[in-house]
This record gives sequence, structure tokens and C-alpha cells, in this order.
Amino acid sequence: MVAAKSIYKRYSFLWMLVPALAIYTMLIAYPFVSSLALSFFKWPGIGPKEYVGLANYKNVLTGYMSREFYRALGHNVIFFILSWLTGIIPGLIFALFLSAGIWGTNFFKTLFFIPNTLSIVIVGFLWSLLLNPQWGFINQALKIVGLGVLAKPWLGDTTLALPTIILVNAWRSMGFFILTFLAGIVGIDREMFEAARIDGANEWQIITKIIVPQLIPIIGTLTILKVIWSFNVFDIVFAMEGTQAGPAGSTDVLGTLFYRIAFGGLGSSDVGMGLGATVVTLIFLIVFPISIIYVYLVEKRTKAG
Amino acid sequence: MKKLVIIVLSLLILVGSFTFAGGKQEKATTGQVTVKFWGWRAQDEAVWKKVQAALQAQGKNIVIDYSTIKPTEYDSKLSLSLQGGTGPDLFLTRRLPGKRTQGLIDAGYIQALDGIVDFSHFTPTTLGFIQSGGKTWGVPFANQIVGIFYNKDIFDKYGLTEPATWGELLDICKKLKSNGVTPFMVPGKSAWALAMQHAMVGVSFPGEEWIGKVIRGETNFMDPKFIELNRMLNDLKVYYQKDFMANDTTDMSAGFAMGQAAMVFYGIWGGTRWKELNPDFHYGYFPVPPKTAKEKPHVYVYMDGSYGLNKASKNKEAAIEILKFTATPEYGKIFSETTGEMTALKDAELPKDNPILLEGYKYANTIASKYIYWVGSPFQKGNPTVYEILREGMQAMYLDKITPEELAKRVQDGISSWYKPLQK
Repeated sequence: MVAAKSIYKRYSFLWMLVPALAIYTMLIAYPFVSSLALSFFKWPGIGPKEYVGLANYKNVLTGYMSREFYRALGHNVIFFILSWLTGIIPGLIFALFLSAGIWGTNFFKTLFFIPNTLSIVIVGFLWSLLLNPQWGFINQALKIVGLGVLAKPWLGDTTLALPTIILVNAWRSMGFFILTFLAGIVGIDREMFEAARIDGANEWQIITKIIVPQLIPIIGTLTILKVIWSFNVFDIVFAMEGTQAGPAGSTDVLGTLFYRIAFGGLGSSDVGMGLGATVVTLIFLIVFPISIIYVYLVEKRTKAG
Repeated sequence: MKKLVIIVLSLLILVGSFTFAGGKQEKATTGQVTVKFWGWRAQDEAVWKKVQAALQAQGKNIVIDYSTIKPTEYDSKLSLSLQGGTGPDLFLTRRLPGKRTQGLIDAGYIQALDGIVDFSHFTPTTLGFIQSGGKTWGVPFANQIVGIFYNKDIFDKYGLTEPATWGELLDICKKLKSNGVTPFMVPGKSAWALAMQHAMVGVSFPGEEWIGKVIRGETNFMDPKFIELNRMLNDLKVYYQKDFMANDTTDMSAGFAMGQAAMVFYGIWGGTRWKELNPDFHYGYFPVPPKTAKEKPHVYVYMDGSYGLNKASKNKEAAIEILKFTATPEYGKIFSETTGEMTALKDAELPKDNPILLEGYKYANTIASKYIYWVGSPFQKGNPTVYEILREGMQAMYLDKITPEELAKRVQDGISSWYKPLQK
């Protein structure tokens, strides 16, 4: 009796986990498991579900959906590469300038961060107006300064549409990268800069030999976050090109492909929740291992700190 | 023990307050029934206010709580709510054949209305778009007509008249372009509108008889006539506004209503928006002309959708009263006057001050194509649908990513993958 009471006391902390575990199960685990289960069924979203085994996976990976799936996957990869180049590198450069304590640093920090506070739908709407080929500000401005030859149908060209969306996305998230890098730069021991200057190092050498190497863990973490965001991207494409992710599917990513399959687009005659769940599961299989690496790196940095 | 007493008391107070609140609400709404109604058409809100007033004038104390849901999200939200038992009493349904409405019928969420609603004011063709298994599953609300709409002031300025052939249409385009006027405003970014453009030209060339042959499997989409149709459309793009592939239907409506282009390929529902944007806008309508004067033009007319009744509605009596009213000519008049669209009721009084609507009625009753290959056609019953193929295919052709022949092949390959008459 005494032993049982002692065991109960020792493990009584488990009760404290119940509320969090219940919320996690309800909001994360259950939807995920039910989505995974759904990927083995044919279900238009209503009525009885029909078990089809791995047919949905076959259709997506090698069957009639494979062309769209691999095209969308390719666009996610492009999204990651271009958004890394247009997000992290400029973010680092701007952060270096702002860390130098130039005039108006706080003003520019705020200015860069403002787009990050806007909802993606608003950003998409605003930029769709700005990029309108006939009366949008961008093309009008290019024409006024004599660069009319550069005025393009930004969102209506299969080559330009995806990079344009990525640039808009970079514009919105720039403030986040700048602030993250600034926090990293502030965290570097100032004595290292002073020692380097005494040793005769110039600013370029301080940046390349001290600041950038010290920021490598942050760059790594941000890169992993970029991978996760790039493979989960949906909202900005949806806001600027709709569920069809046009023109001619040139901006279609896994998120918009999933939306079209699961819920159907305007006028679509079919919806397939099972097939949609299959795409979601495949996105998860891509993102999950990367998320594990991210958590590992963050834990490692926390412990090291 | 003390804690337990407090908890029990708190629960009693909580339960008691809910019961009291429920009783109070019941009392406040005695005699008045609120019918929850979902739709994807924002333009109908004013219609339901008028219907509510008309019903109340008849002594029926019914309140219509109409909510609009985004068209792209409507079907999934509706099916989820019906499954969860929280669905609206009445809702808009898409036309048949189509898996969305058929799915709701098969799952037993829609009530058949035969014997409940008097359908004598509808033509059999209109009713056919919402019938399956020998039953009628909704009250049709509108017939839509699509074709070419033109700016009358621009046509008058250059002495132009409605064309009788495709050649005459091209002559109009040439004349406008040489005078610095953009002949057509086309929403290349709105892929669905391009698919619609294809289908509305298709009923005049290759024409309804040819479409009938494809449906029966007597020819297929690789027919030179279909390839020629693709080429005619592709060749027409030189008369569209610059960078048209980056414009959507919102841009198109704004540009057309503000006189930036002379013509658009669109549907009669666009008129309300054009008049909102420019109350002084004068526009006309003509069917897409056939290739030669020997052929007759046809118009693409389709039943837009219907009002369905939730089989599990708790306010069925009041909901049926609304449905009965929507099947009367009086409702047809309210609908057409308010929305500027063609009511699905055959004998409703038409608004005399809307010549486009009157013209639409005339065409719909005289030269509507018997066969179609877009919405409401047999090519919408499987996967991929002709609509899905044409949406992306038209964009690809306009962007010179594929040729007119390749577009025809895409349609043929896609449809013949499941449509048996084309598998020969």
C-alpha cells in the first residue's frame, strides 16, 4: 500500500501533462492521423468512404496526377532556392548595414518590418494592383523613367510569374530576416571586433572573418525554416494567382495542388479528399525530417548558449 | 467536500442559466421562423430581402438569413456542414450533371421536391438540369447566356454593326485596331473565363450539330474542325489588350466599362458590375458569329443552379414556403429586376428597361445550342473534365506553350481516358 502510494506520488507529475497532451492530441495528432488514414480512401467529401489501399499514392506518384505533382514539387524547390537567395542574403546585407549604427537605423528597422505585419492576403492584393500590366504602378513607373521595355506582364508570364511571387514574398519577410540577423550580430562579443581592429583588420575582414562565421548557426536555422515554409507555401500563391496557380500552372505548388484536389476550384466538377490527403501526407514526409533537424539544431544552440 | 459542493453548485447555475436563456429566446421568437440560407452569389442578398417582405405581406412570419460563401470554398463548407448536422435549411446547388450535387443527393442530404413545389412555370429543359433518378432536386433560379458584349458608343463612333460572320468580326477588330482602339479585353489570368470563351465560340463553330456528333462518338476532338476552332481563337489574340495574360475578370470589367476596349467574351451577369462601375455605359450583345453566312449562330445557355432543401431541416415548413414562392412568376420578376439576370421561370414578367435581358431571352428561346461541351455537358461527368483541360490548355495555347493541334490532343486524350464513346 505504501509502495503503491510512493509510485503514485513519484509519477503524479504525469497528471500535469494531461491538459497539454489532450490539446495536442485533439488539435495536432488526431487531424494528422485521420488525414493519413484518409489517404487510403476514395472520398469526395461526402457519403461513404471507399478503401482503395495505395491507389491514391500510385495516382499521385506515377499515375494521372503525377505530371501535376512533380511540376508542383519542382516549383516548391524553385521557391526555396529563390526565396533563400532573395530573403536570407539581402537580409544579412541589410542587417550588416543597420548594425553599423548608421543614421536612421531604428527608422529603417521599422520600415523593413512593416510588411511583415501585413496579412499575406493584403500583400497579395496590393502587389496584384501594383503589378497590373495596364494601370499598375510598377509598369507605369518604368515607362515614366524611360525603361518601358522592362514593363512586363509580371503575373501573366509563365517565366516571370513564380519569381515575381517569390520577390513579393521576400519583400514581406525581409524584416524578419533582418531582425534575426541583427539579434545575432548584437550577440557577438564586442571585444572580438576591438581585438581585430587593434590587429589591423578592416571592416570587410571583420565582416567576413568574424561576423559571418558567427552567424552560420543562424543562417542554418533560417535555411531550414525556409525549406519548411517553402514546401508549405500556399497563401501568397493563392492570393496572387488563385487556386489555378496560373498562368498554365506555372506557379502551382504542392499547397495549391492540394487545395484544388481536396476542395475543388471554381466550376470544378470533382473533389477528392482522399487524393488531397495523399498530397498532404507526401508534403509531411518531405517537411517532417527537415523539421526534426531544425528542432535538433535549436536544442543544440540552446544547450551551447 | 466543500470544493465538491461549490463545483456542483456552479454547474447547476451554469446549466440553469442556459435553460433560462433558451426559454427567453423561444419566447422572443414565437411565431417567427428564421430560415438559414447559404449561397455563393453575393448579388442575391437584395433578392432575399424582397422575398422576405413579399412573404411577410402574405402573413407568413418568415425571416431569411442569407449568407454568402466564397464560390471556391462553398461546396466543401456546405458538404461538411450537412454532414455535421449544422447545415442551412436552404442552399444553392450546382446544376446536374455534376458530382457535387449528385454527391449530396446520393448521401441523402437533399430532399426531392416533386409534389411539394409546383414546377409548371419551368420548361422541361431547365428542369432537366436539376433532375436525376426521375426526381427534381431543386428550384432552378437562373439561365445564363454567354457571348460577345460590345461598347455601343465605340461601335457608333466607328460606324460598326453587329457582325454576322467570323470574317466580319475580324474586319471590326482590324478597323478598331487601326484607329488605336483595343478590340477585345480578355482576362487571360482567369483561366475559367478562357474555357468559357472556347465553349461559347464552339457552339457557333464547329456548331451544335458537330458537338452532338462528338457526344455520340461519331467524331472526336482531333477533328480538323476542332483544331480550326483552336486556331481561330489563337489567331484572334492579336486583337486582345497588351499583356492580356496578366489580367483577370476584375480588370476586364473595369477596362470594358471604362471604354478601354470595345468588346469582351463574357456572360450576361457581368452587366450589373459594368453599370456599377460606369452608370453611363451603353453596351450591346451579339452571339458569337459562325464562320460563314451559310451557318447559323448559336448561343450557349445553361441553367446556373437551383435552391435545394436540406432533408434534415428543422424549419422545413417555412423553407418550403420560400421554395414555393421561388417557383412563381412573381419571384422571377423580383429576381430579374434585382440581378439583371435571366430568371429560370418561363413566364415571368421581364423588366422593360433592360434591353440586354430581353435580347438574352429572345436568343435563349430561339438559337440556344442543343449540344454543348462545357458546364452541363457529358464531358463534365468524369476526370479530367473538359473544363479542367481547357482552363490550363487555353492559357498554354495563348502563351504559345502549345499549338492548336496540341490543345486538341490534350482534350481528346483527357476525355477519351474515361468517356467511352470517344475510346473507339
